[in-house]
Amino acid sequence: MKFTPSLLLILALVTSTSLVAAELYTPKYEDNEIMLRIVERTPENISAFYQGREFEKKAIDEILNTCYFTVIVKNKTQTTLWLELDNWQFSRGQKLISRIKRDYWKKRWDTINLIQAHRSTFGWTLMPESRDLRADEGVGGSIVIPKQTEPFTVVANFHTKPDKSGPIKTVTIQGAKCVEDIEPIK
Amino acid sequence: MRRRYRTDKINYSIFLLAFLLATLLSPLLASQAYANEPLPKGIIKLNGKIAPPLILNDMDEKRFDLTKSRGHWVFVHFWATWCGPCRREMPTIQSMSEKFGNNPQKTAPEIVLINTAESEDTVFNFLGIVAPDLNSLLDTDGLVTEVWQPRGLPATFFVSPDGKLRYLALGDRDWNHAEYIKFLESLK
Repeated sequence: MKFTPSLLLILALVTSTSLVAAELYTPKYEDNEIMLRIVERTPENISAFYQGREFEKKAIDEILNTCYFTVIVKNKTQTTLWLELDNWQFSRGQKLISRIKRDYWKKRWDTINLIQAHRSTFGWTLMPESRDLRADEGVGGSIVIPKQTEPFTVVANFHTKPDKSGPIKTVTIQGAKCVEDIEPIK
Repeated sequence: MRRRYRTDKINYSIFLLAFLLATLLSPLLASQAYANEPLPKGIIKLNGKIAPPLILNDMDEKRFDLTKSRGHWVFVHFWATWCGPCRREMPTIQSMSEKFGNNPQKTAPEIVLINTAESEDTVFNFLGIVAPDLNSLLDTDGLVTEVWQPRGLPATFFVSPDGKLRYLALGDRDWNHAEYIKFLESLK
């Protein structure tokens, strides 16, 4: 399997997600060129993961103030597919949602004096901003947007071919959500 | 009769030339084993630029400097305990290392693991269970990894004897698989 990225959340959270996995929605698109899947994360999932990496509470709280979800993409073609997050669009109805980018995190981490090791670990858990996906290669990582109370739509555009001269591949996922912890059944 | 003698002489000369060329070029051909055939799945060729600096301590606080490894191939592997594919791949690196270690006839690249931004305790506990014979360099603040810029974790670079980045293995794989062993054996 050639999933290069910060797939940490995928496996490392398996244990913590097991209790709620049945309830979580994992929107997915797949055809013969691409597979794109969104894995929603509850605050409990996210806390468990970063606590396990010895992150301070104030750092975890910063992450929990946002809508943080994991995206997995696999290039199923035999040519290059370009992952460029600036070509992705997040929206709710007619309203566009701005993605929270890496410079935001640098400012937040500076504010709380997060240690370099944790900045590095957090950085590797995020989806790369821009990268070519070789034939049959996958990538995974987290994407962050401001918290949303309603479901939102993700439109992911990918240039194709090594020189980006191929047709643009577009994938639309509707009904993605920022999930909250699920109350235990009483 | 004379013509036949002349033809035999030419054939002999061609044979001798071919033999000499094969003898002289065989070491070169061995190192270029993958020049004309497809690389194993997930291995890509790099442009051959000089490898970035790599000076870190291992778990025994022994200092490693990549520039001291000139003259042989180096398998530079970035990993972290939280990365699922890294956890899956690490035992295969240990098996591959044992395979080469147990057979002195087989040349193999030097294996250098670099843990990205985790504590010594975390690395020690993980390797102790998963790959107890392997040691790892500790990039405790993650800055060396930032300089090398792997495409993700895990990632394995192959540094040639002249210190250049020659190949990159994308993601994880079973290093013990025949096609990868063959590839590793070709690195001379």
